[in-house]
Amino acid sequence: MSLQNILENWSKYRRGAEEGGHHKYEHRWGMAINLDLCIGCNACSTACYAENNLAVVGKERFAKGQAMHWLRVERYWDESINTTSSVAPEYPEEGASFLPMMCQQCNSATCEPVCPVAATYHTPDGLNAQVYNRCIGSRYCSNNCPFRNRYFNFYSYYESAWPEPMNQQLNPDLSVRDKGVMEKCTFCVQRIRAAKDKAKMEDRKVQDGEFTTACAQACPTSAIVFGDRLDPESKVAKLWAQQEVKLGVYKQHKQNPEKRGYRIFEELNIDPSVMYMERVRDSSI
Amino acid sequence: MSGKLNRREFLKALGVGGAASATLAGCDLPSTVTLEEGKEVVESYFMPEEYVIPGVGVWYASTCTQCSSGCGIHGRVREGRVLKLEGNPDSPVSGGRICQMGQAGVQAHYSPDRVTAPALRDGATLTAATWDKIDATLADKLAATDPARIAWVTGTVSGHQRVLIENFLQAHGGGQHFVHEVVNDSVWAAVCNDMLGDAAPRLRIDKADVVLSLGADFMGASTAPVFNARQYADLRRGKRGALIQVEGKMSMTGGSADLWVPIRPGTEGALALGLANYLLRKGDVDGALVSAELRKRIDEFTVERAAEITGVSGDRIQRIGKVLRDRRPSLVLAGASVQGQEHGYQATAAVMALNILLGNVGKTIEPGATTSLHELQAKAGGTGDLARFADAVKNKKFDVVFFYGTNPLFTAPQALALKESLAQVPLKVALTMFQDETTEAADMVLPLLSPLEDWGTHMAQHGGEQPVLGVQQPLMEKLYADTRGFGDIVLNLLRRKKPDVYGKFPDYYAYLSNALVAMKDVTGSAQTTPKAIWEEALQNGQVKIKAGAGKFVVKTFDVQVPGRKTDGDFPLTLMPTARMGLFDGRHANLPWLQESPDQIAKVVWDSWAEIHPTTAAKYGIKHGDVVRIESSNGAIVTTAYLLRGMHPDAIAVPLGQGHTGYGRYAANRGVNPLQILDPRADGKTGELAMFATQVKISKTGENHSIVRLGGSDVQMGRGFVRTVSAETLRRTEGA
Repeated sequence: MSLQNILENWSKYRRGAEEGGHHKYEHRWGMAINLDLCIGCNACSTACYAENNLAVVGKERFAKGQAMHWLRVERYWDESINTTSSVAPEYPEEGASFLPMMCQQCNSATCEPVCPVAATYHTPDGLNAQVYNRCIGSRYCSNNCPFRNRYFNFYSYYESAWPEPMNQQLNPDLSVRDKGVMEKCTFCVQRIRAAKDKAKMEDRKVQDGEFTTACAQACPTSAIVFGDRLDPESKVAKLWAQQEVKLGVYKQHKQNPEKRGYRIFEELNIDPSVMYMERVRDSSI
Repeated sequence: MSGKLNRREFLKALGVGGAASATLAGCDLPSTVTLEEGKEVVESYFMPEEYVIPGVGVWYASTCTQCSSGCGIHGRVREGRVLKLEGNPDSPVSGGRICQMGQAGVQAHYSPDRVTAPALRDGATLTAATWDKIDATLADKLAATDPARIAWVTGTVSGHQRVLIENFLQAHGGGQHFVHEVVNDSVWAAVCNDMLGDAAPRLRIDKADVVLSLGADFMGASTAPVFNARQYADLRRGKRGALIQVEGKMSMTGGSADLWVPIRPGTEGALALGLANYLLRKGDVDGALVSAELRKRIDEFTVERAAEITGVSGDRIQRIGKVLRDRRPSLVLAGASVQGQEHGYQATAAVMALNILLGNVGKTIEPGATTSLHELQAKAGGTGDLARFADAVKNKKFDVVFFYGTNPLFTAPQALALKESLAQVPLKVALTMFQDETTEAADMVLPLLSPLEDWGTHMAQHGGEQPVLGVQQPLMEKLYADTRGFGDIVLNLLRRKKPDVYGKFPDYYAYLSNALVAMKDVTGSAQTTPKAIWEEALQNGQVKIKAGAGKFVVKTFDVQVPGRKTDGDFPLTLMPTARMGLFDGRHANLPWLQESPDQIAKVVWDSWAEIHPTTAAKYGIKHGDVVRIESSNGAIVTTAYLLRGMHPDAIAVPLGQGHTGYGRYAANRGVNPLQILDPRADGKTGELAMFATQVKISKTGENHSIVRLGGSDVQMGRGFVRTVSAETLRRTEGA
């Protein structure tokens, strides 16, 4: 492969789906998360435990950072509340900042190229997939994830996390992972597969809203919207368009820079598939 | 069946006695059936249908019972196992949404700590017994007991479970039904009843331009968290209404506030009066809307006085007052910390008076719908019934006590001495799924089906305009052969007492299907055959109830809220806060919820005490220091968590932990702040003043690391969560 060839391919690879991308895409699954609606209630994260066979690890392992929450809800205080600051205000007057954080399904994911066995790769649908039975547990991917969204099975959790008959709740649509394997949010790929298969059998396209991820389905305030970025009629594509946020760039060039859509760590040129919409505070109050 | 059954009595048995025109059409319903017509066989109701294909999940509608709010749900069933619960989009309560407690309903069902067989007390231990023995023993005991000396203690019950309990007491000719819930709106309901003439008005969070919440964690630990969160989402969409939260400890809801203001716990009533004073003085509201005595009282509460009592600065009170003046309609809510005071009724009435002055009544506070099905409406619990029950037991009023859906030996403050006095009750019957503290003390344990295995109906306390009766149906066959449905157990007892009325129903399934058909005129079902009516109800997971519009009769009266009190020996106010997740402790046995971080402190699997850093500094307490929190009624030892979302005079200990039993996930973990509460009560309603206990705090010398999610409390400038002003939002996305 000549250098020219590599460079050509690379720039093609970097092009977002909007500009044709580097291959033909059928779907581009994405999310829009409205942080003004997020109330930090954890419905999404618990729904994820229920849907995706996530192991409960217990207090001691949680303390070691071994929790398996594919979707965690972070709570931040405003910068000014930093307890180490000498000018900290006494109270968090603007409330808290909640952030549902799951795998951002980066289209130029930093976790993918470092895998020595190609256990993590990019699917044609734009998902960052993890092949469990290929994974050798090097944990390079987790080391390289800027979001810390990859979770390693340090133990065979199935031995303790689902005592009989709790194991009967396990979702048969996906596996229970064993010791030594990395796992992460899949955008509920089992639901994607089921919807695609159904659409194919019925000889039609997947319709927006005919399925969604467990987190989006549970969310009491509908803060999480999931769908196909390539379907211009989908809710998620409309939200991205409304916010003037595009895939395939490391900096958004918005006609109206006041619009509140953004992608976390976009500047790292990782091209996340999750758009957040800024939290809103009414400062006139 | 012997003798002729009186039609009226029959309808009463089914809970439709008040609906005069109810049809009696249920007699042609097959009694014990599969859903397939014509086949009358004794078999499980959960029969796999022909169209159930292995590997394909099917969704069935039901109603969630993880809290009392009555959300409609869908359960995914595959190969005869229920796997996942989601909200039912047609439910006016859940609207297709579900909270984390609802999600964990499957974990309660599949818990390895279920009680699987009946048990009888044999000296110090509970030993397994057969149902035959249990049935015979219970029948003997009930027959030999003065009916007045029978009591039921339950959590909030509605629908036909409530009907059966009330009918049980009526059939026996006496007895009492106590309804106990830690998370409740009892004082609010009493105030609404007295000031608006409607105990359950509909709160329209979605219609408000600004919500002023005084300690109301309406999206977290409330009586309708999902419904309220959906309304909140509507508030934020469109014109983007604002939320001002004033409370002693930042709640989950407070985390979403545009303005969060700390207040000295228990002084919220003074703030409401101070705000009313500000608005009246400025001529922004019409003083004629409230009675002369109340106006006089408001005149006393100048902004300066309110500031002195509440610890909220005068400037801040005026700022909030201006917002209330400018942004109409508004909605002012009173939460658990307002209601849970010795003057809780008065403080809540002050809040309602503010709503009346602001013209919110009729706009964001609407009359609740009225239905003819009073018997099915929720009998909402509070803590007043706990206190009254404890008192009655102490005075040896009962010989037989049934417990269902509540765990008073965990939730009752030690000062009520419930454990000691309960020991004197000859027969304590626990209808339960788990070996909780109350079950451990029981003399007879009746193992229940899980809510995902059982039948039931539920009427939500809060929902949309259209009231519905939620139908709960088994989503799978029972896991344990020796467990029985709640309805079946009570029906069984009723059948023994009144065979002429209840002998007609071989089981709760038959009872419910007859009841729903008998309700046809009230539900307005378009179906004509009993079978079709019943199947429609099962498919929808609910039936609509015809409702009339309610009407307010506004009446105001003088309210008396105390000035500032200081207690030198016990300087801090204890806030025992329930939270979305473990709730009042009922979900401490569910590992998903134990491992789910507290929404504000982010702590998992444990208890902690939240105090403001300035208070901590005063006592030389550091983050993670183990502290002893002492009231005049006991002490608890837990870890200090320094949190700025606190009033410096408050100390908050979350509810949920401190179980001595309740299975492997709950037992011997953390502390239960309810234990050390002073046994004070609201003067008017008798509800326990749960936020009125003063405590002192001291270091034990130990320091523990606190296990929690996330390493950093701030974003270090990395912009994960960015913030935009509402002004900008209105420019870019304005409706």
